[in-house]
Amino acid sequence: MGKPKIAFFDFAGCEGCQIEFTNLGPEVILGLLEHVDIVEFREAMTEKTTERIDIALVEGSFTMEKDRERLQSIRKRSRIVIAYGACACTGGINALRNHMDDYHECVYGPDARMPHLQSGPALPISSVIKVDYYAHGCPASKDELVRILSSLLHNDTPFIPSYPVCVECKRTETVCRFDEGDYCMGMVARAGCGAPCPALGIPCEACRGFVDEPNLRSLETVLMERAGFSQDRAIGKSRMFTANLRS
Amino acid sequence: MSVARFVDERGLKAFVDALAGSRRVIAPVAKRGRFSFEEVSSADELRLDYDVTILPPKKVFFPPAQPIVRFSEGEVESCTCGIDTVLLGVHFYDVKAIDQLDYLMRENNADWDYLCQREATTIIASNIQTVSPRAFWDSVGTHVDPQGHDAFLTRIATGYVYEPRTPKGEALLEHGPFREATAEETAEARQVNESVMGTCPERLGYTTEEIAERVRDAYGNEKLWDELAERCFSCGSCNTVCPTCYCFDVLDSWNLDQKSGTRTRYWDACLTREFAAVTGAGGSRENFRERHSSRFRHRFMRKTTYLNEKLGGPACVGCGRCSQACTADIADPVRVITTIMERTS
Repeated sequence: MGKPKIAFFDFAGCEGCQIEFTNLGPEVILGLLEHVDIVEFREAMTEKTTERIDIALVEGSFTMEKDRERLQSIRKRSRIVIAYGACACTGGINALRNHMDDYHECVYGPDARMPHLQSGPALPISSVIKVDYYAHGCPASKDELVRILSSLLHNDTPFIPSYPVCVECKRTETVCRFDEGDYCMGMVARAGCGAPCPALGIPCEACRGFVDEPNLRSLETVLMERAGFSQDRAIGKSRMFTANLRS
Repeated sequence: MSVARFVDERGLKAFVDALAGSRRVIAPVAKRGRFSFEEVSSADELRLDYDVTILPPKKVFFPPAQPIVRFSEGEVESCTCGIDTVLLGVHFYDVKAIDQLDYLMRENNADWDYLCQREATTIIASNIQTVSPRAFWDSVGTHVDPQGHDAFLTRIATGYVYEPRTPKGEALLEHGPFREATAEETAEARQVNESVMGTCPERLGYTTEEIAERVRDAYGNEKLWDELAERCFSCGSCNTVCPTCYCFDVLDSWNLDQKSGTRTRYWDACLTREFAAVTGAGGSRENFRERHSSRFRHRFMRKTTYLNEKLGGPACVGCGRCSQACTADIADPVRVITTIMERTS
């Protein structure tokens, strides 16, 4: 049996998650290539494939009906589908448009009516196809992806944390953003990133989406009481990466 | 027991510098307006005037992420070992917490991944110079004496009184310019430690037994627990900063060669949703504490009642870390216990 075949596919997104993979550097990428073959990867190679794939890494959100068929074709020829990055996992930051109707003019100005900009709501790829695993984050964590791929190579179920970022901040003894008069959403944000943002003094924006059953009412209260947000700002803030995960 | 010694400020610095030159010294240092126990290379970094550290000193023996085993193609090798360490500046409430962990990690199957570093460590406790904003260590488990430390250091007007409690604590004396403390100096040290009691900003007004009984009786009062946990995020911060929590999860990770790897244990937190989730027959899933409020209740049962007989006191030492770490500010044991006591009377 040959090495498992891996392919990257992109939908609505910045392709930064593909770039993030290249940031693993030659040592790690060449190490991985001892165990897998990459057969399609637009940001790094010109070859494409229409053959069967073992692991499809699908990046970007589903925003146009015309993409449905392509997603379904990827699903059909892939043994495992991983939603790769926030846009694919939850709709990501693209989903902010789902709560707006005036963005065309304000973002694109005179080009607002160009036909390729007429897209639908930004949805996670799971709204179209079955997803086996999620590599969360904006960008997706490259180290986590290596862990996920390694687990799959051993036929293990990858461990993808469901606890919040607070757990990782505490494990690294990071000073809480609220202790420094700031805001944060680490209490409801899915961990797995290792909490690098709060460690650098930057609030967690929940780019990996929410934990299961996030206490959003309490989040709004804490953002208002402890960070001095208005209610509108508290609600808006908690939508940044998670617009599809809440009302 | 050994005689108390005295050392002045300069002498203490020389002592700490000498220790740091000959072994690992871990002590409280400043961290962005808070404090943490870190390895120090010189006495200048030391902050014995700290109020409370973000994480408790248990992390020295029981790190938040601890590689315990390395494996390679069928070979398995332990990767924990004790490093000669002085843990300096531990407040008495953390001494009590370490003493509890020592007991729990030794009972039944002894946990050598904890004990190897514990046994390689000399603990120098120190008096509390600054009281933290949510502390209540002077009103919880007051009948439990702090023990397990090797020496106690108390700051007095003219310097420090060092009281060795074990041969390990005695053995360190050769590293500093100590002299025998006078009766006055020893009396002053005792007075310093006595007078800090009663200064905590928060106070539990009930005995350990009263609390244990009433909290246990409130177990079935779902309405009360729902109300207490209404704002809970299940973020686990109350667990992960607690000096007496000791639950962990174990995770294997593969190296790039896909032949070798590491088994690591991580602090776990019973407030998080997946903590009590298990896989059953045929891949079914069961979570036996599915609700925020049942996880919140579980923590209070553990801290106030379940372990009391085994530990001889509550599994809470009043450090106030959970109260400070809880962003929704609902974890404070004083407030929760007081509410339960008042509402169920």
